[in-house]
Amino acid sequence: MASNHNHPEGDMAWFIVGDKLAIITTKGTDSSSVHSKAGDWKAIDEAVTDGVLIHYYAEPNTVDALTDYPDIDNAMHASIVDYVKAKLYIDKAGTSGDPNISATAMNLSMVHEKQWKDSLIKFGTRRRDKIGGLRAVRTFDLR
Amino acid sequence: MAVRRLTVKNIISRVRQTFPEAPENYLYNLINDALLEAGLYRTKVEYAKATTVADQMWYDISDTGSSVDINKVFRVDFKDSAGDYIKLPRLIDNEILKMDIT
Repeated sequence: MASNHNHPEGDMAWFIVGDKLAIITTKGTDSSSVHSKAGDWKAIDEAVTDGVLIHYYAEPNTVDALTDYPDIDNAMHASIVDYVKAKLYIDKAGTSGDPNISATAMNLSMVHEKQWKDSLIKFGTRRRDKIGGLRAVRTFDLR
Repeated sequence: MAVRRLTVKNIISRVRQTFPEAPENYLYNLINDALLEAGLYRTKVEYAKATTVADQMWYDISDTGSSVDINKVFRVDFKDSAGDYIKLPRLIDNEILKMDIT
């Protein structure tokens, strides 16, 4: 059904509690009841087909074939190798009977873990950013 | 101009330079774990539409209850009487007087 809200920005709002999105409105009647009078927040008053458009940060799709591309920016594809190696080196450290091999594997795991974290957190914004960087050069006003 | 991207095969072959015996299924699991962790750092933006129900306040956005995998909602629009999606303000103080439970 179509919407009857002329200016939803003025009489509607949203908020989130846990895994639930609340859509509320102040639209109401002149009733003295707080449950229906205009101005009080209450549930959205009408059914609107595709009425809500949600913009969100999503989880990347999983991969399940050799030909799949990881569902993240290609600048971060090589970093996945570091994540996988970090986990494999931890496995190796835990299963090896030789303390020297374990210690070396643990160190290598930390190296790859750091590279993964740097790529994702320290330089992640730069890798994912599509609008960053210099847009225009303005020279000094020499007048 | 070609874009440099790595397939799962490329990633596995790089890993197998040092771990030639690593089982393929385990590597798939680790790659998917990496993607899940990468998703926590705002790597992918998506949009979804939902239909409202009269007098229903709550809409499920959990990974299991909804058809989409949402990590963080950053904007919600509502369709106005002209059919345009208009940005709604986010209510910071969500302790409203009437709390519907449907």
